Amino acid sequence: MLAMIILIPLLPLLGFMILVLARKYLTDRISAFVGVGSIGLSAILVAVVAYTYFSQDPEPLRFQLWTWMSVRGFSAEFGFYIDALAVTMMLIITGIGFLIHLYSVGYMAGDPGFPRFFAYMNLFIAAMLILVMADNLVLLFLGWEGVGLCSYLLIGFWYDNPENGYAARKAFVVTRIGDTAMMLGLFFLYRELGHLDIQAMLESAVELWPVGTDPAFWAALLLFGGAVGKSAQLPLQTWLPDAMAGPTPISALIHAATMVTAGVYLIARTHELFILAPDVQQMVAILGALTLLMSAFTALTQSDIKRVLAYSTMSQIGYMFLALGVGAWSAAIFHLMTHAFFKALLFLTAGAVILAVHHEQNIFKMGGLWRRMPLTFTIFLIGSCALVALPFTSGYYSKHEILAAAYQVHWCFWLAGVIGALLTAVYTSRLIIIAFFGRQNTEPHECKEPVIMVPLIILAVLALFGALLQTPLESVFVPAFAEPEQPSSVVAFIETVVPFIGIAIAYLCFYENPYYAKIKERFLPRLGYVGKLLDTERVAELKIYSFLASGWGMDRLYDILFVNPFKMLAAKNKNDVVDDVYTGVTILSRGLYSIFSWTQNGQLRRYAWVLGLGAVVVIGVGILA
Amino acid sequence: MILLMLIMVLIIGGFLSWYAEQWGPMWPRKVALAALSFDALLVMVLLFSSDSVTIPQIPESTDWIAHIQITWLPRFGISMNLALDGLSLLLVTLTVFLGFVALSSAWTEITERVGFFHFNLLWTLAGVLGVFLAMDLFLFFVFWEIMIVPMYLLISIWGHEDRHYAAIKFFIFTQVSGLLMLLAIIALVFAARAESGVFSFNYFDLLNTNFGADTGYWLMLGFFIAFVVKLPAVPFHTWLPDAHTQAPTAGSVILAGILLKTGAYGLMRFVVPLFPDAVYEFAPIAMTIGVISIIYGAKLAFAQSDIKRLIAYSSISHMGFILVGVFALNGIAYQGAVMTMMAHGISSAALFMIAGSIQQRIHTRDMERMGGLWQDVPKLSALALFFSISALGMPGLGNFVGEFLVLIGSFQQNFLITTIAALGLILAPIYSLILVQKVFHGVRSEQHAISDFGCREILTMMAMVVILVCMGLYPQPLMDLARPAVDDGLFRVITFTGEQQ
Repeated sequence: MLAMIILIPLLPLLGFMILVLARKYLTDRISAFVGVGSIGLSAILVAVVAYTYFSQDPEPLRFQLWTWMSVRGFSAEFGFYIDALAVTMMLIITGIGFLIHLYSVGYMAGDPGFPRFFAYMNLFIAAMLILVMADNLVLLFLGWEGVGLCSYLLIGFWYDNPENGYAARKAFVVTRIGDTAMMLGLFFLYRELGHLDIQAMLESAVELWPVGTDPAFWAALLLFGGAVGKSAQLPLQTWLPDAMAGPTPISALIHAATMVTAGVYLIARTHELFILAPDVQQMVAILGALTLLMSAFTALTQSDIKRVLAYSTMSQIGYMFLALGVGAWSAAIFHLMTHAFFKALLFLTAGAVILAVHHEQNIFKMGGLWRRMPLTFTIFLIGSCALVALPFTSGYYSKHEILAAAYQVHWCFWLAGVIGALLTAVYTSRLIIIAFFGRQNTEPHECKEPVIMVPLIILAVLALFGALLQTPLESVFVPAFAEPEQPSSVVAFIETVVPFIGIAIAYLCFYENPYYAKIKERFLPRLGYVGKLLDTERVAELKIYSFLASGWGMDRLYDILFVNPFKMLAAKNKNDVVDDVYTGVTILSRGLYSIFSWTQNGQLRRYAWVLGLGAVVVIGVGILA
Repeated sequence: MILLMLIMVLIIGGFLSWYAEQWGPMWPRKVALAALSFDALLVMVLLFSSDSVTIPQIPESTDWIAHIQITWLPRFGISMNLALDGLSLLLVTLTVFLGFVALSSAWTEITERVGFFHFNLLWTLAGVLGVFLAMDLFLFFVFWEIMIVPMYLLISIWGHEDRHYAAIKFFIFTQVSGLLMLLAIIALVFAARAESGVFSFNYFDLLNTNFGADTGYWLMLGFFIAFVVKLPAVPFHTWLPDAHTQAPTAGSVILAGILLKTGAYGLMRFVVPLFPDAVYEFAPIAMTIGVISIIYGAKLAFAQSDIKRLIAYSSISHMGFILVGVFALNGIAYQGAVMTMMAHGISSAALFMIAGSIQQRIHTRDMERMGGLWQDVPKLSALALFFSISALGMPGLGNFVGEFLVLIGSFQQNFLITTIAALGLILAPIYSLILVQKVFHGVRSEQHAISDFGCREILTMMAMVVILVCMGLYPQPLMDLARPAVDDGLFRVITFTGEQQ
């Protein structure tokens, strides 16, 4: 067991090292073999571990490999802690990771950076595995920063475009703000509790801190800061839409299925701490709800297919945070899993679409694709159904668990979730209607290579039936409600019906149909502002639209508040004002030198009159004084 | 004896390589390589020996690995007193290793007056070794000066366009601060005589002297400023960007990798153990200076368009962590400062070597004129990416261990200063990644027909990569080596504060 568990992160790491060091000798074929093979093997190992783990009595396993650092009472081990939560995450990471690696072989074929791509991908999987397997917060932080690094490298993978580089740096720096908060949280926890081993730390936190005390508040808040940055939640969400500059498999793997959910994992992993800080937990719920609404609104206004999905990801992670905030830990992880299935599917299918239409990402330039690429369309539709949470898809079950828990805590949270569900249905249907129906603007070439299609089909099956794979997490999370009360049938009815209403709205607003067009023409102008809002052709003129489209102006706000002042300050002081002081000393001594050297020119005349003048001055002063 | 040999090998090797120039330009390089290899052997012996020697003044201590004392000027209590403990051993190892790196980077870059160049190179290294080994304050000062003069020559003869200005600036700054230190040393010795009646420059004699509160404070300040100029910390840092930028690559490697560490070493070896009470009082101010250096250095690094200047300012930022770590007066932070010294020594040396290689290839340091180099020189670029990432504190690599320990330790003492220092971690990627973007990514602004790293360079670089990874994943052996010195320095402060309470 131990050897297997060590091999799980080690294999991708080895793959990375082979791909980097032997780059020169590898053809693309061998690189693909190494890159995909290492993840495949590690996925098999995870499956075996998961099977043995769940078939036995689920006792957490601990392995300590070596002492990383140990100084005067502070020590951090290289150690793994495997429980149901970790196994679930490992399954998602390696399973979906493997499918995306396989897909990438087709997607990235012929790219000059092919081996580099797989090297970074392998490194990412290794770091992500370490993140979820770590038994202490320092090692977790290693994985945490490692995935951030790979995210940076892969967003900027096509480095010759400076915009990609900017997006990559933005992602790294913005998440680093959260990471720094998290690091301060580590320092704080160590100061207060004396160790950073997760389980021991949680035990002593529960022992020492009564619910609602200050230390618990600060510790939870600082860790939450890290989660917010990594998971692109308010107020550190601005990096995720730009991160779409990376190749599409990256968006699927890192910016939808795994890395961005690391924040959810962190909070779930340390949920005992958050229970001790109800204020912070409430903040988690509120920020989650706000993010899910705000980004759903923004998703409505995007024209880039990947940005729609990116905002949708933020919105869905908002659901997970909402779930965490209301104490529905296992619902959050369940949604994390189903979301990983259907969002990876949607991104990968979007990638297939983008390939088919010659790297066009603007949905308004697509149109009418369903007839030309029926298989891709069907798969996209399946993913969308799960995203919208239509009954019997995986997304339905996980979203309903969240909504049920939210309803029990406060109706406001529930309402936010339901409105979010409505918006999800609208923007998803809008995307499908505009990109796949309507007038055909371009001639697509559907790609039917098996390396691309097989992962898509598997993911489509998972998106439909993945809810059956829900892992038992009772051993990790004590249920928040001893007696989960069944929501009333009215509530359940609303939850189920809402997506259909959303689809209907989208149909009315976006589907081009001569009959509706007439109605629109007749009625919309009479409705004034609301009419404009509903008129898809004129809505873009509205200020509110561009405000939403820019992601609620957050980028501009941060530019004004932080980026520009920093840049200005840096530019103003490029030559270091402190150095001017020393230059001043030089100038002063040079000046004195020239004054004194003027007095010593060897001319008797000058000496005589200076002497005379001096004497006059001295006598004059003497008389006057 | 082995300690004396360490230094003498380099001094004699310096003369020999100067002399060997008459046989052709390859000879000085080979002689220098031989001298360094011999030193490396000696270091190996020291690393693997488990001996400990007793120092007469502190018989109970088993921390010292080697010691030699030869009478020199007995009338003034001055002797050739060299001793080595774990901390010195770490820094000696770093010095010899970076000596190889410097040699490697000068191998093809220096083509004029090769013999004299290697003479200066070896003498600088000899001076640095002396600084790390001398346990007699007068001797320490002598070595302190020995390392400055050849360095000055390295910059002013083989440097770039503004070399004379930079060299003189470097010389004046270090000379003035050295003078301050000399005054402090002499005052210290007299103050100690007044206390104990013995006139001695011997470090071990002076260790347990109890100065009056004011005297101690002023003496401490004299040493502190001398070392902090060398470190350097804001506001004494302005010599560094010029010196680094103008120096030849080997000079920059030694400056950033080792010379800066002599300042940090001085703080650890002399300031903290000799004046524990004054240090305790002064600590908040020193930590504040450290934090200002971290933030200010990072901000200036971001503003630069000259690649070497950028790395130079980033060094100021990283050295701020050392200052915070030492004066947090906490075992963890102190150990972190040692680790930062080692890791920064390697990573900054590597970055300067890369910057030097780029300049040698495309004849500019202006980042605006670079871009897209990854396509031309993938190996060089990948290595540059690695070292930039290490420098910005990526866990799993050496620099993280140091900075993490500094911060977690200092947080126990002063959370406000630590929080501000942690902001440096946000600024570090901003300037490091700008460098990667402007130089290696993006579009090529100019066409360059240049060659990638060759075998010699790859070998040097890979050695540094391996060291940084090992330090990042298993730093324990280094920390165990440094531990006695760390414990001893802090023990003095803690016993002092214990007496106070």
